[in-house]
Amino acid sequence: MKTFDLISMCFRNLFRRKMRTILTVLGVVIGTCAIIVTISLGLGMTKIQEDALAQMGDLTKIEIYNYGGGGGSGSSEAPVLDDKVLKQISELEGVEVATPLARADWSAMEFWVGEKFRFSGQVVGIYPEAMEKLGYQMKEGSYLTEGTGKKIPIVMGEQAAYNFYNVKKRDGWVYPYPDANGNIPDPYVDVMKDEITLRIGRQDEEKTKLVEYETQVQGVLVADFSKGWETQESIFMSIDDMNRMVAEYKKLNKIKESSNSSKGYENAVVKCSDIKYVESVESYISETLGLQTNSMESIRKPMQKQIQQQSMILGGLGLISLVVAAIGITNTMVMSIYERTREIGIMKVLGCEIPNIRAMFLTEAGIIGLLGGIVGTLVSFSISWVINNWEMIKMALGIMSDGSSGGFGMMGGMMGMGGGGQVSLIPPWLVLVAVLFGILIGLVSGFTPANRAVKISALEAIKHD
Amino acid sequence: MKKAMITVKDLRKVYKLGSEKVIALDDINVTIYTGEVCCILGTSGSGKSTLLNMLAGLERPTRGQVLIGKRDIARMDEASLAKFRQKYVGFVFQSYNLMSSLTALENVSMPLMFKGVGKGVRNKAARQMLKSVGLGNRCDHKPTQMSGGQQQRVGIARAFVSKPRIVFADEPTGNLDTKTTIEVMQLMVQMARENDQTLVIVTHDPEIAEYADRVIHLIDGKIVSDISRGPGMDHLVLEGQFSNQETVHHTEESPPEEPLILEEDDPDVEEELRLEPEGGELPAGSTGGKVEP
Repeated sequence: MKTFDLISMCFRNLFRRKMRTILTVLGVVIGTCAIIVTISLGLGMTKIQEDALAQMGDLTKIEIYNYGGGGGSGSSEAPVLDDKVLKQISELEGVEVATPLARADWSAMEFWVGEKFRFSGQVVGIYPEAMEKLGYQMKEGSYLTEGTGKKIPIVMGEQAAYNFYNVKKRDGWVYPYPDANGNIPDPYVDVMKDEITLRIGRQDEEKTKLVEYETQVQGVLVADFSKGWETQESIFMSIDDMNRMVAEYKKLNKIKESSNSSKGYENAVVKCSDIKYVESVESYISETLGLQTNSMESIRKPMQKQIQQQSMILGGLGLISLVVAAIGITNTMVMSIYERTREIGIMKVLGCEIPNIRAMFLTEAGIIGLLGGIVGTLVSFSISWVINNWEMIKMALGIMSDGSSGGFGMMGGMMGMGGGGQVSLIPPWLVLVAVLFGILIGLVSGFTPANRAVKISALEAIKHD
Repeated sequence: MKKAMITVKDLRKVYKLGSEKVIALDDINVTIYTGEVCCILGTSGSGKSTLLNMLAGLERPTRGQVLIGKRDIARMDEASLAKFRQKYVGFVFQSYNLMSSLTALENVSMPLMFKGVGKGVRNKAARQMLKSVGLGNRCDHKPTQMSGGQQQRVGIARAFVSKPRIVFADEPTGNLDTKTTIEVMQLMVQMARENDQTLVIVTHDPEIAEYADRVIHLIDGKIVSDISRGPGMDHLVLEGQFSNQETVHHTEESPPEEPLILEEDDPDVEEELRLEPEGGELPAGSTGGKVEP
């Protein structure tokens, strides 16, 4: 028997009992809808939550602290956070970059423009190549490069220029806030044009010695608090340059290098390539290396868990309706076999092969599942659209009837949480999974009836009425 | 020299009903030849339908062989039997057994569809077939839109469409009036003759037997007579045979127990039992002995 004939015969049989086929398909539609919508809600909520967290901070970033040697461990083996450890971390799976974010003493490094304007913000030492990997965006210029020659390359935070204040004036600040006319005043200095010098001096009453370095501003960052407040107001420089400067400062001021002070950086940042690595990398750093860490993971995890629980409850309900749909298909097929016993008998007597009969019933059940899956997906898309555009629809409805009904109102409130975001997300894989799942449900529930049809004795069947 | 088409050897069928054993066929030995129009004649409960079912591989014998050509279909499994029927066998039923949802054309082309013949080819063959049974203008009619005789002609077209070697007909005229019976029988025999096909007809009606080359008379699971009739052979011999049989039937009046047991197996038994509602007293098998001429 040709496959085409088989399939067309199946469609014919389904079409013959339109009402029953439609009702059975409807069962599958409701089942798949329930599943798709609940999963899409789970996905959408996770997405919204992640977006919200991402605004608070980079989800793939782990901060490492190492203040005062060993957080209360008191052992001689206080953890060290130095280049070696950072290299070790950067070799972990999923780590994109690990870099120190060293902060120099305010007094140690003085950035000046002329004799009037001094920089008052933080100076941050970083691996030059890490800036791009950390996701810093440049407003102008280029990322930090290794120092070449005499001039020390630096990169400014977006608003770092406002941190230059006039030392000669009593209130020598310019603030980046709009004035009465709504204009934002320009800072005293133009960081890209003015010469910025770095002075390292001796911290006495009278400065006996002063070393000056010329700097080269390579670029200005875009401020992004999710990447760290440093992007707003700090000056970035290569960690090597900074170490060199600090050493010089200490020498000038005759500060002894104590053994304690060589324990590496106090502050570092690790960037993972994906959220999924954060947990393992963080636990490695905090447990194996014994360093203090901080990441958004501690906030994200419980939220994720909550959403997962919600999704599971909803998904469970969806699953129940799908099981009901499967029972519906089985029932339909069993009834169909009862009705068609005689036909099956005739077909057998006329030489229809047994695999063909089985295939016929399985295909019929599969078609019901497939149709249910497809229609269910389409319906899900419209439900998803309604959920995502609930505010708009509510507004449209509000014109007609004042105030929405209680139940919908609550739902609307829940959906409203997402703001303008997509509360319900249906990615392509979900569509595929839903349709395949529909077919699978059809085949599974058609299996027993199909075998039953196969077992019907041809002789008995022809005599069946 | 005639070539054997179906060879039945020591065929025995015993139905178990609880602890009771009912012998439906008792050591049947018969050979049906290629191109023969053979009629198996018997009253209800004589085992004629059971025999047909065995010949067609629809039922398994308790013992014995049914050789079609050289293959023993009694030993075949379901799958090969289906294949066998598809290739070699056509069926005509008493109740036509057409698919009510399909048109005449689709009904006729069905055996070809199972064989895997493409739609164009099989529809052409089916149309041709319907034309030759005189229903060329009825191709697109559903069975419900046709008379009994027309439906049976569709049934015949379906049985012959795939040019099977053997066509089995189980009471093909059971539901038809006399005039239509004659038409249908002539049509069937003519078609079988045209292609040298073997036709096995099961009937309780002696008139039907007149169309056959050979009449095998079955009573209580035993062959009581096997008369071949060449062209121009005297009909009176057969006539006598029938009257004898009919006499037996009427004098006995009460049906043997056997048909009751075979009831689920044989649809026309029920019908006849309703006509003669008196329960039988004689045990199964005992009638056979008395009837023996």
